[in-house]
Amino acid sequence: MKIGYTLSLFREYLANYIKTKMTYRADFWVEVVSDLMFSAMNLVFIFVVFQHTPSLGDWSQAEVVFVYGYFMIPYGIFGAFVNLWNFSERYIVKGEMDRVLTRPAGSLSQVLLENVDPPSLIGSLVGLGIMGAAWARLGLPLDWYDPLVLIVMVAGSVLIYMGIYIALAAISFYSDAPTGIVPLMFNIQNYGRYPIQIYNKGIRFLLTWVLPFAFVGVYPAAFFLERHHHLLMAWLTPVMGAIFAAIGLAVWNHGVKRYRGAGS
Amino acid sequence: MLAIEVERLRKQFKVQKNREGLKGALLDLFKREYTEVTAVKDISFRIPQGEICGYIGENGAGKSTTIKMLTGILVPTSGKILVNGYVPYKDRETFVQGIGVVFGQRSQLWWDIGVIESFRLLRKVYRVDERDFKRRLDELVETLQLGDLLNRPVRKLSLGQRMRCELVAALLHNPSILFLDEPTIGLDIVVKTEIREFLKRLNREHGTTILLTTHDLQDIEALCSRVIMLDDGNIIYDGSLEELKSRWSKGREVQFQFSDPVSLQALSALTAGQGVRWTKENEMTAKVWIPREMNVSDVLSRVVGAMEISDIKIFETNTDEIVREIYRTGGSEKTAEAENGEALPAMAGADSRD
Repeated sequence: MKIGYTLSLFREYLANYIKTKMTYRADFWVEVVSDLMFSAMNLVFIFVVFQHTPSLGDWSQAEVVFVYGYFMIPYGIFGAFVNLWNFSERYIVKGEMDRVLTRPAGSLSQVLLENVDPPSLIGSLVGLGIMGAAWARLGLPLDWYDPLVLIVMVAGSVLIYMGIYIALAAISFYSDAPTGIVPLMFNIQNYGRYPIQIYNKGIRFLLTWVLPFAFVGVYPAAFFLERHHHLLMAWLTPVMGAIFAAIGLAVWNHGVKRYRGAGS
Repeated sequence: MLAIEVERLRKQFKVQKNREGLKGALLDLFKREYTEVTAVKDISFRIPQGEICGYIGENGAGKSTTIKMLTGILVPTSGKILVNGYVPYKDRETFVQGIGVVFGQRSQLWWDIGVIESFRLLRKVYRVDERDFKRRLDELVETLQLGDLLNRPVRKLSLGQRMRCELVAALLHNPSILFLDEPTIGLDIVVKTEIREFLKRLNREHGTTILLTTHDLQDIEALCSRVIMLDDGNIIYDGSLEELKSRWSKGREVQFQFSDPVSLQALSALTAGQGVRWTKENEMTAKVWIPREMNVSDVLSRVVGAMEISDIKIFETNTDEIVREIYRTGGSEKTAEAENGEALPAMAGADSRD
């Protein structure tokens, strides 16, 4: 009932998004192109690294590219639906949260819906393409259940990202200016898309259990890679997703109660 | 039935103390100090259904904080609130279905798309039936004369046009209580009058309870049967506007223009024993201050009978004056004491001469 209502709102908000973008068409394309350039740069970086070394740990270039391709899929979906980068400024400092709270829909769903960013999904498609190409190059078998597993893994990865970033955005309810945390997080998250085995123990622990960005990249992707197959860690992805989404929601719900509004 | 019931409502904020200088900033980094600020101090009031109530007070008196608690935006520190039978912050999503909120300084509408698109989206958010929506929108568009604005994006509207659209947005779901936070701020006199007329009509025809904060006392005079005045988080007056005026207005002033030069002694002699005070403006003009409880005609008859008069003006203290005086003295209790000492000078600017 509630989910159906939120989904119907999603359609409306999306329609409004499209109408808005129609008035700023150039903006739309600039966004798409810059998103893609960002991903292309990362890919080029991987190629440059492998020009200097045949393998990273015992990961080949194609395998690293495969992991990166996987990473792009949940990242694109996350970017499309959880666009909270300016949450603190727009909703807390400028007080737009007031308006959100006077409407009969969940506060988090409204904030997420107001900021949907569908062009980000193009990144997911490109990621799928990269993963497919690497798949072929590695000569991996394609089992009937692989697409289904991919969907579950991607869902888990998206939930991890959502949980972490929602909790992070909700910190603005408690503290006045948590501006430093988001860039820091952004840096840490980038480590997750490379094979975790190349890092030292401390970073491995951090990326697995504290800020589990490794579950948005190497662990679930390794499910499909024969040489690095690790069933337990791969299947922890949806579990971690559920746990972190729950944490994110809890922090948000608790934080909203402490919202204090802005201005007069 | 009561629309709003508030008992011993309190809201405290923790405010970060910023220490001075570089050293202070470094200290803040490691150990923050907080001060508790009480924005609303145990206030209680009840508003019955169908009333238009004005909520006034200086900046920072706690008006907006109260409104935000009543609308479910803020969670009170302590006390009891019941609006429309709901505890606002607890059943927020069900509760807001029955209220409309307009913040004069903030927009409800999507900035870049046509106004009508915002309305359509709000219809979905509030789950308003398509038929009801149509009827309601037509009615609102007609009374507020928005016909040709509906397809324009909000950013291309003037403030007055936008404000009228905000009202429509807040009323599409037919709420039984409407909260307005400074609805006429920054608007020209024509739009202000239109909005007041509209609110009166809304109240009359739909029985909508309205609570509004404002700095424009003309809003209050035009609309409100009841005024709640807030100062530093406390309610310092709660009652009708008439009573406010009669309790705190310090009487009237009458200005006489005489045909011949007059002296103060002569005038005072005329009205001896009436407890009035004369001041002279110039050779031929004098003013008399008459206490509230006294009849103006008693004084007039004495003067008119004795002197040749070319013109008379009567000055009533207007609400602005009264409220300014109450703010200045910081509350009702103190006003009574202040009255004796400085009543007359405060009257000098009073000029509601019609």
